[in-house]
Amino acid sequence: MERIFEFLFKYRPLVFEQGEFGFAAPGSVRLWLAVAGLVGAAAVASYTIARGKSTVPDRGVMAGLRVALFALLFVCLLQPALTLSTVVPQQNFVGVLIDDSQSMLLAGEDGAPRTAFLQEAFTSESELLTELSDRFALRFFRFSDVAARIDGADELSFDGTHTNLAAALDAAREELSGVPLSGLIMVTDGAHNSDRPLTEALVPLQAAGVPVFTIGLGEEAITPDIEIGRVEMPRAVLEGSALIVDVVVSQTGFGGRAVPIIVEDEQQILTEQIVDLGPDGEPVVARIHLDLEGDGPRRLHFRIPVQPGERVERNNARDVQIEVRGEREKILYLEGEPRFELKFMRRAVAEDENIQLVILQRTAEGKYLRLEISDSTELEFGFPTSREELYRYRSLVLGSVEASFFTHDQLQMIADFVSHRGGGLLMLGGRSSFAEGGWTGTPVEEVMPVVLGEPAGGDDGFFAEVAVRPTPAGLTHAAVQLGLDADAVSTHWDSLPAVTIVNPISEVRPGGTVLLSGSSPDLSEDQVVMAFQRYGRGKSIAMTVQDTWLWQMIPPLEDQSHETFWKQVLRWLIDGVPESVQVITEQEQVEPGESVRLVATVGDSTYIEVNDASVTASITSPSGLIEDVAVEWSVERDGEYAVEFRPSELGAYEVEVTAERDGMPLGSDLTYLHTAPSDEEHFGASRHTQTLRRIAEETGGQYYTPDNIETLPEDITITGAGVTLVEQMPLWDMPIIFLLMLTLMGAEWGFRRMRGLV
Amino acid sequence: MLAVIVVSVSFGACEPNEEAAEALARVTPPGSELMSQQAPRVQRPTFSNVRGPRLDPYEAPGRWPFYWTRAVYSSGYRGYGRGWSTDYPKGDQQFLVVLKRLVRLNAYDWENAVRLDDPVLRRFPVIYMVEPGYMNMTDSEVEGLRGFLDAGGFMVVDDFWGEDEWRQFEYNIRRVFPDKGIVDITLDHPIYSAYYDIEEVMQVPAINNIMRGFTAECRYWPCDPQVKGIYDEKGRLMVIINFNTDLGDAWEWAENPSYPLKYSTYAYEMGANMIVYAMSH
Repeated sequence: MERIFEFLFKYRPLVFEQGEFGFAAPGSVRLWLAVAGLVGAAAVASYTIARGKSTVPDRGVMAGLRVALFALLFVCLLQPALTLSTVVPQQNFVGVLIDDSQSMLLAGEDGAPRTAFLQEAFTSESELLTELSDRFALRFFRFSDVAARIDGADELSFDGTHTNLAAALDAAREELSGVPLSGLIMVTDGAHNSDRPLTEALVPLQAAGVPVFTIGLGEEAITPDIEIGRVEMPRAVLEGSALIVDVVVSQTGFGGRAVPIIVEDEQQILTEQIVDLGPDGEPVVARIHLDLEGDGPRRLHFRIPVQPGERVERNNARDVQIEVRGEREKILYLEGEPRFELKFMRRAVAEDENIQLVILQRTAEGKYLRLEISDSTELEFGFPTSREELYRYRSLVLGSVEASFFTHDQLQMIADFVSHRGGGLLMLGGRSSFAEGGWTGTPVEEVMPVVLGEPAGGDDGFFAEVAVRPTPAGLTHAAVQLGLDADAVSTHWDSLPAVTIVNPISEVRPGGTVLLSGSSPDLSEDQVVMAFQRYGRGKSIAMTVQDTWLWQMIPPLEDQSHETFWKQVLRWLIDGVPESVQVITEQEQVEPGESVRLVATVGDSTYIEVNDASVTASITSPSGLIEDVAVEWSVERDGEYAVEFRPSELGAYEVEVTAERDGMPLGSDLTYLHTAPSDEEHFGASRHTQTLRRIAEETGGQYYTPDNIETLPEDITITGAGVTLVEQMPLWDMPIIFLLMLTLMGAEWGFRRMRGLV
Repeated sequence: MLAVIVVSVSFGACEPNEEAAEALARVTPPGSELMSQQAPRVQRPTFSNVRGPRLDPYEAPGRWPFYWTRAVYSSGYRGYGRGWSTDYPKGDQQFLVVLKRLVRLNAYDWENAVRLDDPVLRRFPVIYMVEPGYMNMTDSEVEGLRGFLDAGGFMVVDDFWGEDEWRQFEYNIRRVFPDKGIVDITLDHPIYSAYYDIEEVMQVPAINNIMRGFTAECRYWPCDPQVKGIYDEKGRLMVIINFNTDLGDAWEWAENPSYPLKYSTYAYEMGANMIVYAMSH
């Protein structure tokens, strides 16, 4: 199509896009228009005056055709032309960035690796390189995770384990910042597997007016192939928690097949699950249940056995690091009156070594029963009155206790406990809970995931016996899983006895998600049984049922639904609750020698960010070498401290961060980092056309494939920046004009013949 | 405080059983008629079938967090088969009135008697059993009680005296749990401090006996008050046995000036502790 356009219009479309249209004829445009008007009028008059066999419409058609011909001729006399800037030969530079990562060695369908194109196009004898060299001074760069200058393509080794397009563009731009730069040529498959956003590199190029011409290598779809796209798993989990891991599996050419996913750690196979791959080309999510025993760092290996005919084998497995925490976490459960809910919840988690359910039960006004307390002073005066005291707990459960039990400061403290401290809040149903307990209009109402309306009216209030079922969101949520798959979960919930609700709630806040709902033939709409939302740094859960203990008392003894439910919910409640001092590494796994950023957040006992702390990271290498590194305040955020380090050994690094202020300890935290060779280049290894198009379009360049690369040198000449000169490109001799003239003349002749006027 | 409440709560009895009524007639102190007239008398229909009363049919189980529930079992008690109903329902009603004044308990106001083999028993995790010295449970009642306790239920046993009655109770409870031991609950057990701090186990007399000057009902055998228990496999107390004592009579006759206050006080303290403990452990 582009060749036809060029034949008719003399130039390629790119020239028309870049150029500015105008007329080169001397003299005033008005004068030329007057002359044109006179000639046109004479033509019309000649047809008007002439008589003979022709009718008025005949003469109109012929006059129109003749005027159009004169108009075309007249346009040619005006000397139409395109004016555009073209770069001055040999006075400008072009950077050639070539992908040097492992993915370039992947073979195509024809068996040739992607590097074959480089050998054709960027060797000294190649036509492309010759044309480019004739017009520009070329500077070559190799890039993978970092970029570096090279003299030519023969210096490439294709052993990079990551591809960082942004870093490559930055490096080339900075290196060539002092010379007139016409553009950058980037030769790659476009697989950008760095955390750094591309936008950060594109904006400076836009500002400098440097176009990037991208050349995409490889196939857009590698067929047939199976790939473990990603594994979604928390970085830390409490020991004994039921862990649900989502594994995204993508494939082409294996549609409708079923393959096993095997999960193993260093010692044993943990589980094996068959996943149905679904329609060809569509990714599926496999949900895997894991039980991790024993605390400490664990490295889990997820793999799908290589299937016959697979094009890429190394993208069938992924390693994921997880820390199994063995701590005993404290949850405060305040109950406003003796209730069986408390007894049975205690029993459900009594044997859970990681949960300390501290009970504060009001048995009379000002009289409390305290259970599972650490010492005799704990909660000695009832519910905490200071943030420091409340924030010692990771989560808070409120039973049937009215809002007026608390002071306003305590209510605000509970809200802050969720939003600022990041704790979990669970409110249970009861006569003194939710709107019926006067919680509407309190600071805690804002935290709750459900909408509290007016309290239920009438002498007896609201009462409904409901059958509880998981919502679609609940079917896949770890906290309410009572079976291994969605069907089993649903069936299991159906088998549980009905429970009762005295707090009518049927609406959640915009950020709330309903996991369980309750239905009854006596009710016109379903009731919210369990809903949650993220609020600030923490989360809140509403559980409107007042007697989940019926799930323990009524089903057969072997049914563990009640225990499982509460164990999962309470573990979820404390999951991800931050400490006042926390540390993470920005990458879970790096290669030896690769830089990793360590980020710590530091707060005091009330979780107020501290910027003047003394923070030290003690880094223990796999061989036992300990290195102490000072971690400095990042300035970017309050309470954030960061430092970079480069692990040099293969294996697991342990990083312990301790913080103190004025000699007083603020806290410490532990994290782990694994160093290993990376297979990242084998994941998502097909050509990323969208990414490459985006880079080209946002910088004013062009996107190419090896099939249309021959116009690249001229395109850079036309669109490039640097030292340029203005060039006028005449249009009067375009073949399309000659063809149009012939067409008009032929049309008039044909018309006359048809009407018998010749 | 407790003593004040116990003596100040005067309750209109609904349907005291015949024997208790006879005893009351024999020991009615001067002025008690006036007291009875002054007290508001609450009349409520009773719901009965051949095996005993049931929850008000218009009352949905679950509306209230707590129901004081009496265990209905089969027995050969003096040929009537109603050993379970001793002190019923006045004792239950009066106990609830005082208990609700003492403990912040959101409880159903009325008595609730449920058969041991009724599936609805599982909806009431605390049950009260009296006079088990004459009990003779059916197999279905044995199954029902075992299932109830294994599921997490808690049973308070009260008002049986002497070796013979003990043997009868033990025989029946062994049918429920053949392998579980019955052990003493010593004063260091948390049930004695769950609400009140109780420092000694007191023998609470039946009203008939205290009027005659006795506390023990078994005058010809050793008759020390004992508190025993049965624990589950995980060490959780599921049955508390008040032997050689009669807490129920003290609850029932607390308003009677002739009934010594110290026994009523102890009985209510023990009752509050057992309820709070059973609802939290």
